[in-house]
Order: sequence, then C-alpha cells, then structure tokens
Amino acid sequence: MKTVGRVLIILIAFAIMMGITYSIVGASSSSNNMPVFQNGGERFSPNREQHGFRDESRGGSGFGMLFGLVKNSVIVTMIVVLVALPKNFLQQKRRAVPVRIK
Amino acid sequence: MTETITKTKNQTKTKLVIDIAIFIAFLIAMDPRSSGIAVHEWLAVSALAAIVVHLLLSWDWIMQTSRRIIGKSNSQTRINYILNWAMFIDVTILMLSGLVISKVVMPSLGINLPQGFAWRSLHDLSANVFLLLLGLHTALHWNWIVDTVKRYIFQPIGRLFSTSSRKDITA
Repeated sequence: MKTVGRVLIILIAFAIMMGITYSIVGASSSSNNMPVFQNGGERFSPNREQHGFRDESRGGSGFGMLFGLVKNSVIVTMIVVLVALPKNFLQQKRRAVPVRIK
Repeated sequence: MTETITKTKNQTKTKLVIDIAIFIAFLIAMDPRSSGIAVHEWLAVSALAAIVVHLLLSWDWIMQTSRRIIGKSNSQTRINYILNWAMFIDVTILMLSGLVISKVVMPSLGINLPQGFAWRSLHDLSANVFLLLLGLHTALHWNWIVDTVKRYIFQPIGRLFSTSSRKDITA
C-alpha cells in the first residue's frame, strides 16, 4: 500500500511537470506562429534518402549500435574522470590534514 | 536487526542491477540513428518504468534530504539534491517531447499528436543536457558504484575462484 502511494506521488510529479512543459511549449510556439504538422510533417519534408540523409526509422547495423554506445560511454567517462578524480583527491587531502589540538 | 541488514543488502543489489540497466538503456537510446527509431522509443518508454523503481528504492534518501535541505546538510548533499531535481525535470521534458514527436509508440496506440519544430528542438536539447547530467550523476555516486560493484560482483566471483582452487588442491 505504501509503495502504491509512492508510485502515485512519482507519477503525479511526472504529470505536473509534463503539464507545465506542454503548456509552456504550446504557448511559446503559438505566439511565435511556428508551423504545426500532423504525422510529423512527412508530406512537407524533403526526400531524405535523395538528399544524402540516412533514415532514422530503419536503424543501423550492429556495428553502428556499438558505435553509438561507445560514443556516449566516452562522453560519460570523460565527465566522470573530470569530476570524480578531483573530488576524491580533495577528500583525501582534507583527510590527510592533521587536526591541531589546542 | 539481521532482517534489516538482509533487506538493505537486497535493496542495494536490486538498485545496482536497475541502475546498470537504466544506464545501458539510455546509452543505446541516446543514439536513434544507430539503434533505430522503434528500439529508441520502446527502450525509452520502458526506462520510464525503471526510473520509477529507481526513485522508489531511493525514497528514504529523497525524503530525508528534502526535510534537511534548508537546514542541516553539507554542500555535497545539496549539490546532489539539486542535480537530481534537474535530472527529474530534464527526463520529464525528454520523455514528453519524445512522446509528442513519436513515430512508433504513439501511432501504435492510435494517438497522433500535432507536431512542431519546437518539440523536436526541445527533445534534442533535453537529450544533450541529460547526457551531461547522467555523467555528473555517475561522477557524484562514483564511490558508491565502485564499492557496490566490488562487494556484489567482484568479491563473489573472486570467492568462486578461490573455493574452486581450494577444491583442486584438496582433490
């Protein structure tokens, strides 16, 4: 029962956030007179294959999927190295400082 | 007492498995050109359920920190708390914009939403921000990840090898 209540709270929080975002984007796009398309506006889009674009809906090969995975992993690893290493170094330095007893 | 320790151990294990699953799922879903749009969309929708479980397992920390955030709390906890809220907001925007511009999930449910360029650019922007926040979230929890992986993955494997080598010696 407790878990169901917590799930409901999380879902309500999601719904509130989504409602706020939807109304903000709706208001801003209507004030900017941005075009709105049904079914992704495919009728108006250029022939992607003809213009050298690759169709996203088809998906890539196993190698391509691996490349995407590796690329994003490298970005996350770089952030982890840039943040976690200095953080741990500072923590160790703080621990190493002897405490003066008055 | 023993029951509480066992419960916490099980929760930590479950959390580790779910976190690894969410992490891999997002890394795959972040590149729709490689994975394909159907995999991208269904993986993201299932990741939403995993995020709910992740939040449920972190519920006690969320409640405790929410109560203490204004008064007693150190700077690292505050940064963590703010970053987690930013991640929650960003993932909500990412999911909503993804559902609005959906080409597989929403049409399969018979829902066709009016799409605009604003949703498309919002989806791209929130996805880039999410990758950055995911990196920061991982970095801030790095010590927990290393400790938990050591305790629940490497140590059991090590024990498995040491017992099998002991058996070889006695045989």
